[in-house]
This record gives sequence, structure tokens and C-alpha cells, in this order.
Amino acid sequence: MDTKKAFRFFTLFEYEKEQEYLREMHRSGWKFVRVSGFGIYHFEKCTPEDMIYQIDYNQDGIAHKDEYVKMFGDCGWEYLQDYVGYSYFRKPASEAAGTEEIFCDSDSRFQMLERVCKGRMLPMLLLFFCVFCMLLMTRKFRGSNILALVFVVLFCLYSPILAMFALQYWKLKRRK
Amino acid sequence: MNQHIKKVYVPMTETAFYILRCLKQPNHGYGIIRTVEKLTDGEIRLAPGTMYGSLSKMEKDGLIQFIREEDKRKIYQITDLGSEVLQIELRRIERLYRIAQEEM
Repeated sequence: MDTKKAFRFFTLFEYEKEQEYLREMHRSGWKFVRVSGFGIYHFEKCTPEDMIYQIDYNQDGIAHKDEYVKMFGDCGWEYLQDYVGYSYFRKPASEAAGTEEIFCDSDSRFQMLERVCKGRMLPMLLLFFCVFCMLLMTRKFRGSNILALVFVVLFCLYSPILAMFALQYWKLKRRK
Repeated sequence: MNQHIKKVYVPMTETAFYILRCLKQPNHGYGIIRTVEKLTDGEIRLAPGTMYGSLSKMEKDGLIQFIREEDKRKIYQITDLGSEVLQIELRRIERLYRIAQEEM
């Protein structure tokens, strides 16, 4: 069977963009199989179809996988996989009512954003804060070049993520 | 009733309202989705991500309770606290409706 791999990087809050990417791939005849490693997307050749992809982030759901997957299945969403806390679902657009999504109100969309913040961004920010404190402490004793470098690297990594968070938050706010 | 419950559920989302209303009888998430679809002539279709998140949140807040599991579907029922919150919400909606009818 014809398969292909693609590397794509989406920051924590770009799941809507990722959903669009998977839909676009399926539309052009590449069916999503799984995502693994550091953003390696595996695809399989298929007949082009308009398939809606949706991503949830719900640790509660992953802890109670059977009933979580069952509820989505009952509503016609095929469960695909979990990947670093995100769960992937799809449904043919032909079976969906208009622009169907796995969330139907803005409260629940914000709650998902909150869960991503707590589950994925908070640990990162804690690390950043720790490095920052260590940096402040070691400055008094000089020789903190490595820490300073770590700090700068983390800062460069986190800035776009924070920017994406702000963008996603603003998008949801506007949708309300 | 503590402040957190008041703040989150008065007023509540349409989803939360339908969940509490339907859980006067024991039911599972998908059952609620179908009931609401029937009651509203297909106009309101609750989505599974929203339903799953709301049920876990409301269970944690003590508004509904888990009763049993049937074929991997968790069945819940409203609690006394849930009924109390629903009553407050109903009074609020009734007042809105009454005022909407009155001549100004």
C-alpha cells in the first residue's frame, strides 16, 4: 500500500490548524494513519474524501478511555489515537450536519483551551520559572553563562507558543 | 450552596441546563444528546466533547452522580444540589420570560 510520512510542527494551541491540515490531506487522497515521535505524520493513499478531523485534549477521557471513546463513537466520530494527551477523531463530512465539531458551545471550547494550558503549558512555565530563579541566584556568584543560554533558548521556544495561545484565545473570544 | 457553584451555574449554559433537566431520570451522555435532539426537533445537537467535559465537571461539582455503567456508557442522575441549582435557574428563566411579556 502506498504510504507517506510528513513532518509538521504545530505548537500546543494550533490544534485547529492541525485539524485543517489533516482534512486537506484526506481531501487530496491521503488518509491520516497516525502521528508519532516529534510531529511525524503517517498517511496512506485513499480515495479523496471530505473528512472532518477533530482534536480533543481531555486527560479525564484518556483515563476512562472505554466510555470516552464510546461516547464519540455513538455520535459517529471514529477514534484514531492519543498523542501526548491529545485525542484524534474523524467523521465524513457527508455524515456530519453542516459544520459539525466535537464542541457545540464556546464554554466547552474555552475549557479545552484551559485543559491544554494546565496539562501542557503549566509544566513548561514552571521549568522556565525555575531556570529564571536559578539564574538570578547564580548571578551573584558569576559564571552563569550556561544557565543564561538555557534561559535564552527556553525564551525563544516559549515565545511563539505563548503567542499562539494568545491568538487562539482571541479567536475563541471573537467567535463567542 | 457555595460561591463557586453559584458563579459557574447561575446562569448556566444551555448544555448544562439540558443535562440537568434530562438527568431527572437516569441516563447516559449519548441518551441525553438524543433526548435533547428530539425535544428541540433536531435544532439542538449537543456534541460529544462538550457533553463529556460537562458531565465530568458536573459530577466533580456534585450536581450529578454516577449510578452504574451499561455497555461502557456511564449512567448518571441529578443530585439534590443539582435539583436546587436547576430550580434557581428555572426561576431566573421564568422571570426573564415574565418580564418579556409585560408592558413597559
